[in-house]
Amino acid sequence: MIEVEGLVKVYGRRGGKRALDGVSFSVPKGDIFGFLGPNGAGKTTTIRILATVLTPTAGTVRIAGHDIRADSMEVKERIGVMPDEVSFYPTLTGLAHLQYYASFYGIRRANAKRRAEELLAQVGIGDVAEKKVKTYSHGMKKRLALAQSLLHDPDCIIMDEPASGLDPQGMRYFRDLIRFLNGKGKTIFLSSHLLSEVEQLCQHVGIIDRGRIVAADSIENLSSRVSVGAPIVLRVTADGVTDDAIAAVSKVPGVAKAERTPAGVDVTVEAGSDVSGEVSKVLVLAGAKLKELKSSERSLEDVFFALTKGGRV
Amino acid sequence: MLIMIIVLALIVVGGAYGIGRGSGGGGPSGPPFVVWTHPSIGPSGHHVAVAWVSDPFGSPLSDTNVIFSDEAVPPAVQLGTVATNADGFARLDVGNRTLVFVQARTGNAEVGTSVSIRDPVDNFTVEMHQDDLDNDGRFNDVGLHVLTRAGQPPVARIYLNQTYVTAADARGYGRVTLPPGSSNLTVEVAGENWTRQAFAFESQRGGPAFASGPDFVLLIMAFLFATFVIPLFAIVVTFDSVSKERVQGTIDLLLSRPASRIGVLLGKFLGTFVAVALPVTLVNLAGVGVLTAVSGKAPTGSFVLAFLGLSLLLIAFYIPIQLTFSTLAKTSGTAILFGLLVWLAFNILYPVITLVLSSLLFPNNFQAQFRFAQYAGLGNPSSIYQQLVTFAAPESLRFSFGSGTILSLSLVAAAGVVWFVGTLALALWIFNRKAAD
Repeated sequence: MIEVEGLVKVYGRRGGKRALDGVSFSVPKGDIFGFLGPNGAGKTTTIRILATVLTPTAGTVRIAGHDIRADSMEVKERIGVMPDEVSFYPTLTGLAHLQYYASFYGIRRANAKRRAEELLAQVGIGDVAEKKVKTYSHGMKKRLALAQSLLHDPDCIIMDEPASGLDPQGMRYFRDLIRFLNGKGKTIFLSSHLLSEVEQLCQHVGIIDRGRIVAADSIENLSSRVSVGAPIVLRVTADGVTDDAIAAVSKVPGVAKAERTPAGVDVTVEAGSDVSGEVSKVLVLAGAKLKELKSSERSLEDVFFALTKGGRV
Repeated sequence: MLIMIIVLALIVVGGAYGIGRGSGGGGPSGPPFVVWTHPSIGPSGHHVAVAWVSDPFGSPLSDTNVIFSDEAVPPAVQLGTVATNADGFARLDVGNRTLVFVQARTGNAEVGTSVSIRDPVDNFTVEMHQDDLDNDGRFNDVGLHVLTRAGQPPVARIYLNQTYVTAADARGYGRVTLPPGSSNLTVEVAGENWTRQAFAFESQRGGPAFASGPDFVLLIMAFLFATFVIPLFAIVVTFDSVSKERVQGTIDLLLSRPASRIGVLLGKFLGTFVAVALPVTLVNLAGVGVLTAVSGKAPTGSFVLAFLGLSLLLIAFYIPIQLTFSTLAKTSGTAILFGLLVWLAFNILYPVITLVLSSLLFPNNFQAQFRFAQYAGLGNPSSIYQQLVTFAAPESLRFSFGSGTILSLSLVAAAGVVWFVGTLALALWIFNRKAAD
């Protein structure tokens, strides 16, 4: 659905800030694609280019098979954009906003009103449709921003921080709605600071850092990739772990470190070693009563920090 | 915007009322002599420019130097200086020239006018000058000067409202006093008639009897009020039409819609144009209405229509300029500052700089200074508007109130088109490049 190849954006004339430096990734049709990166990494610039607001300095972007420069009108017809900043005309009502934006898509006046009312009701702000936007709360504006992005039933929805600034209920509402839209076959391009949200929703992610894509793959593959070569921690839950038992575990070949925990012991294993069987055996022989042994998994957060050199999200 | 409309109405409508009711002083106005110019054809078929110089009462002034210059194509060429004869006439063979500038000077007083000589020249031509010659405080005395195609005074009979009044004297001069209101003046030479309408205010109203009554007031309205106020109104309405979208963050949503940037900016242009044009037209019509009510006579219909139309053109000149600056401005404060600078630049600085430059470049040469100012005015939308208003004004007002022009209508109109198309193209180009920055 979205194919980005060698995208470059330089602000200003020669010597200006290079916000994007050869960004490439692709988003399959029907996917929920998470787009992550520290502040200033180039996320918003990428999104503004995808939304046809900014013109790239170099590179190509194709959405639904249409080049954003050559066929920008075709692209605009197929995308819905929900920007991070929920900015509207303060003296217009929510309904008037949607009717105004509908006029760009050639939707007839009567149809536009009906469609706008339906959408406002669908996103949960039907009761304030006739009120001026300046009276709306942040959450209401977020819902209005979502409604305007769905006006023309686009194939692809580009969302920049859809849940930022929302309370837990609002965040959950947006998560459910994104799943619902995806279930109807919509491709979702989701930029978010909330890694847990991305982890729950997305099949694939792209991570951008300092204008370059440092990773673009499924979350599973990224976790595995990051895990290779990194030490693994075995979390052992057991009763009766004595100091002698910990000392014995420390001496098992492949074990880097063994530390007592309230639940038992954490065993740090050298990369490439499989010591779980030997550790279990040593602990049992030392008189410990073993309850559980599991290796810790790498979260998206670990992946993110590993790939962005600990960059702030 | 409402405040701006009220200010606009106060200035234009109030101006129409104020000038319409203003009273003139007694006695002749203007310089102490009048230069009457006529086109004529000499015995060899050459064009001859004829100037008759008299005092305001029709007595000829002899030995007055009259300078004839060719103004048709710059640079101006001085064709010759001729002293008036005992009958007050100065004639010069100007070859096949069609537009000649005529300048006469006596003491500190100087009068400049022009004569257009285009074939075929009429069998006789008439010049009019309306003034308060009997010192009764009313500008209802009309002097008429008649010459034949050969440049000689004919036997001419003068009628006022189809009633014979007097005959032109041996030098072609005759005088009539107008009754209040509109009158028809007719000059008959060898069975051929020339008729013009003239107007004098009702005496009890105490208003000034300008050369053509309300037309002259309308000309003042166009020059003094519309030229300054309409651009200011257009700028105030337009100043943040793009910058505000950026400041309040709605520009991204707008630009991601399926509309080209050219379409978006043209939409903004049209929306702003209508928002400015509607109140301006209503206020202008109200001004004309008040003027008509005060003076008791409506201005010439075609002049009113031209005034209304040219006011719209003036709006169309300024909106693209301000759209450009609104696109470049990062904040609304910067945008309004740019707008005020644009207004100051074209309405105050440009004319002052032109005046200073013309004085420096052509010291003591009024004619060259005037010509320089006219051509320099093509670089200023307000000046273009004023020159177009001059063309639209009744012929008798063309050189009154400093509104004369030596430029051709086609040149001024072309400058207007270039201004509008050029500034609109610039606004589109800048918007296309900078709107999302």
